[in-house]
Amino acid sequence: MKGIMQDIKFYDCRVIEGSSTSVILDNGKIEEISRNFTRGAGVRALCGGSWGYTAVEGDIDLKRGVDAASKLAFSMNASTPKEEVELAAVSSPDVKDLPEVRIDPRDIAIEEKVDLLKSIEEHARIAGVHSTKVMYLESEFKVQYRSSEGLECEYELLNVGFAVSAVASENGVYQAGRESRFGYGYELFEKENVLELAGNAGKTAIELLKAKTPKGGEMPVVLDQELAGVFAHEAVGHASEADLVLEGDSILENRIGEQIASPLITMIDDPTLHEFGYYPFDAEGSESKRTEIIRDGVFNSYLHSRETAAKLGGTPGNCRAQGYSMPVVRMSNTFIDNGDSKFEEMLEDVRDGMYLVGSRGGQVNTGEGIFQFNAEKGYLIKNGELSGLLRDVSLSGNTLEILNHVTHVGNDLKMTAGRCGKSGQLVPVSDGSPHIAISKALIGGA
Amino acid sequence: MYELARKALKLAEEAGAEEAEIYYAANHSTGVNFKKDSLENAKDRFSEGLGIRAIVNGAVGFASTNFAGDLENAVKIAVAEARVRENDPDWVALPSNGKYPQVSGIFDKKIEALELEECIGYAVELVEGTKEMPGTLPTSGGFTRSKSRQLILNTNGIEIEEESTAVSGFVDVITVNGDTSTAYDFAVSRSLDIDFFALGKNASDLALKSRGGIKIEPQKTDVIFHPFAFSDILEEALAPSIDADNVQKGRSGLIGKLGEEIAVPELSIYDDGLVEAGIDTSASDDEGVPSQHTTVIENGVLETYLYDSYTAGKAGVKSTGNGSRSSYTSPPSVGLRNFVIDYPQEDIIANTTSGVFVNTIIGAHTANSISGDFSVEARNAFTIKDGALDKPIKSLMISGNAFELLKNITGAGFDVRKVGGIITPSIRVSGMSVIG
Repeated sequence: MKGIMQDIKFYDCRVIEGSSTSVILDNGKIEEISRNFTRGAGVRALCGGSWGYTAVEGDIDLKRGVDAASKLAFSMNASTPKEEVELAAVSSPDVKDLPEVRIDPRDIAIEEKVDLLKSIEEHARIAGVHSTKVMYLESEFKVQYRSSEGLECEYELLNVGFAVSAVASENGVYQAGRESRFGYGYELFEKENVLELAGNAGKTAIELLKAKTPKGGEMPVVLDQELAGVFAHEAVGHASEADLVLEGDSILENRIGEQIASPLITMIDDPTLHEFGYYPFDAEGSESKRTEIIRDGVFNSYLHSRETAAKLGGTPGNCRAQGYSMPVVRMSNTFIDNGDSKFEEMLEDVRDGMYLVGSRGGQVNTGEGIFQFNAEKGYLIKNGELSGLLRDVSLSGNTLEILNHVTHVGNDLKMTAGRCGKSGQLVPVSDGSPHIAISKALIGGA
Repeated sequence: MYELARKALKLAEEAGAEEAEIYYAANHSTGVNFKKDSLENAKDRFSEGLGIRAIVNGAVGFASTNFAGDLENAVKIAVAEARVRENDPDWVALPSNGKYPQVSGIFDKKIEALELEECIGYAVELVEGTKEMPGTLPTSGGFTRSKSRQLILNTNGIEIEEESTAVSGFVDVITVNGDTSTAYDFAVSRSLDIDFFALGKNASDLALKSRGGIKIEPQKTDVIFHPFAFSDILEEALAPSIDADNVQKGRSGLIGKLGEEIAVPELSIYDDGLVEAGIDTSASDDEGVPSQHTTVIENGVLETYLYDSYTAGKAGVKSTGNGSRSSYTSPPSVGLRNFVIDYPQEDIIANTTSGVFVNTIIGAHTANSISGDFSVEARNAFTIKDGALDKPIKSLMISGNAFELLKNITGAGFDVRKVGGIITPSIRVSGMSVIG
């Protein structure tokens, strides 16, 4: 082992301890109350150009973990040697300004949480809704980071949130409405009007029953904050992740300094904001910081880990992991910044087109720069005014074309919390945008 | 943790559980991954933990832990949670009287014994395969082997322990010159019978053939879905409606359709936990119910929904052995086992005069799982002309409805593939709406 360790130029460990609680209320009935306790560690070791990684759960023997990861790295490097990996320098992070928790959810009895869910359920179950689901989630965890360079830091976070969905049906047609909020501290349930949100989920489901499906084709569109945020995150944000760029899987390769979007667009990733993607330092101990990905339409920066920052030039701070998994380059709180258009101006300017609202997810091919998103609902824009409600509306196209076709950016930025999947790992993120107008986009119908 | 499973069961009874179940799962996996054409990392993961279901007065509490020191606390919490809940009149009992079938082909000693150097060798084969076709580069991918062990114990006498192995390979490639296109290929198996070199080569070949895509007019046409594309649609737009839990809660498009003809008469679909060497094969499901072969659709007629023991108790039928868990951290719920699509096979492309062939799709998870409506982006799609693939299509959206689709299937290929647990050939559907 001693012989190997001479060739290991870097190693680090993340120890994570925590617990989570979930309560699921289905059609007004408790379906599940569950509690999970977990502890484990992820250890990385670097030998030449190869990484070794070991994840263990339960009782943790860090020394053994470091040995195992080192052996993997050493063997990899011995059998397939390659260019040495350099890591951008980091200094000890200043762990400060964590999200304040006024009401600790652990101080609230489980019965009270169940009662809260029941009243959320009652508000979602408006006339015509025949099925509901409400979920409460709470998690607390402590992250301790330590590296062979002598970095040692830790933080604790406590998240709470809820999601409600309502389903309405008529003549064999089923439609769902969903709302969710996530944040820090049980006060979330005071700050957000959760009962009103629940009612909105019910209303959406019922409205959608009467909605028409659109005729597909190319047309001008307005995107609401949520859908524009999903576009920013999925289509642009992922393509700016430096690991994908290095893999040759991003349309944004070699584009720094180029005008890639309408000059109205400024796009930011900022883990210091107290939104759902917050962290004080990333999974490599790099202090979190704000990154301007696009400034006035000009592509400004990739998002980096220490390895990609050393390779491409840049600042680390976006390397994240789910639990004990191996960290990869990820976003945090990602958004298109406010412009100065008003929603009414956009409708007026679009005249005839479509207004797309909310998101039911989508997918992106970052290498070819194409995407497809499904909106929760849409409205026809006729003569500059909103008319008929639409459902099963999807938006697809070429990321750079869409960015260049943005004709208005609103001044009503709103963030939405969610979880982002990459490399088989989910991490909490938020994304957002003001309303934006696009002169030409491909709309698909069902 | 394994040694603590019996103790945990006893602790739960002592804490006041009327019935209790311990689910133990352990997994050891080794992965070797590449970025571009160089191996980047090797990963070893050990995961192990216990999930505890405690039942008091017909109400269930659940807790899990991966740390021995938390075990007693977790057991007590599971019992306390059950007490918070009201009696559930639909609760019958945890499974009992497990008599298990023999299953085969799910454990391969050679996989368990693989050394890191051999794992590296398979990852190198994936990369080398892509080099057979000049003009492409892998972007990412890797080889993984895993060994799992699970033990289920309950107070009704269930005790079943199983071990299994798996290997998988994945490769994503991009063209390097001229028009950019991407493609991927993957395979997963219970034994070391995957040709990793061929996976790399296929992905590169497909990416190259997809260059220079054309636009096509919006139209209704015959679409042949490759097993990758078809299994995606089945899983997201059809499977949720067969889940008895969704049926019981009013969230299925197949409520009240038992005994009705919902598909073309040539189509049968089986859910089968016993398939030789199947990815979802095991003697027992994840709550100790013996695995079985279930006919879901026979000659177009919907025969049954899929049940775990809770939904079966509620409906007054027998569980179909579909109790499924993603990990020891969650209680069981209804999940597919091996899902087998059966339709008379033919030389499907050769027998298609005109239409579209779709290798993969993106966006299937955005389907409406109740109505079955989906709208997806097709990848690596080609026009079909006079019984052969003709030109690549740049961008193509396909919209449809899973239930309509079942009624419009007109053919299946010889190319049956195990896409995870879904076992299907390429399937031709007539009158699909496509927008190029």
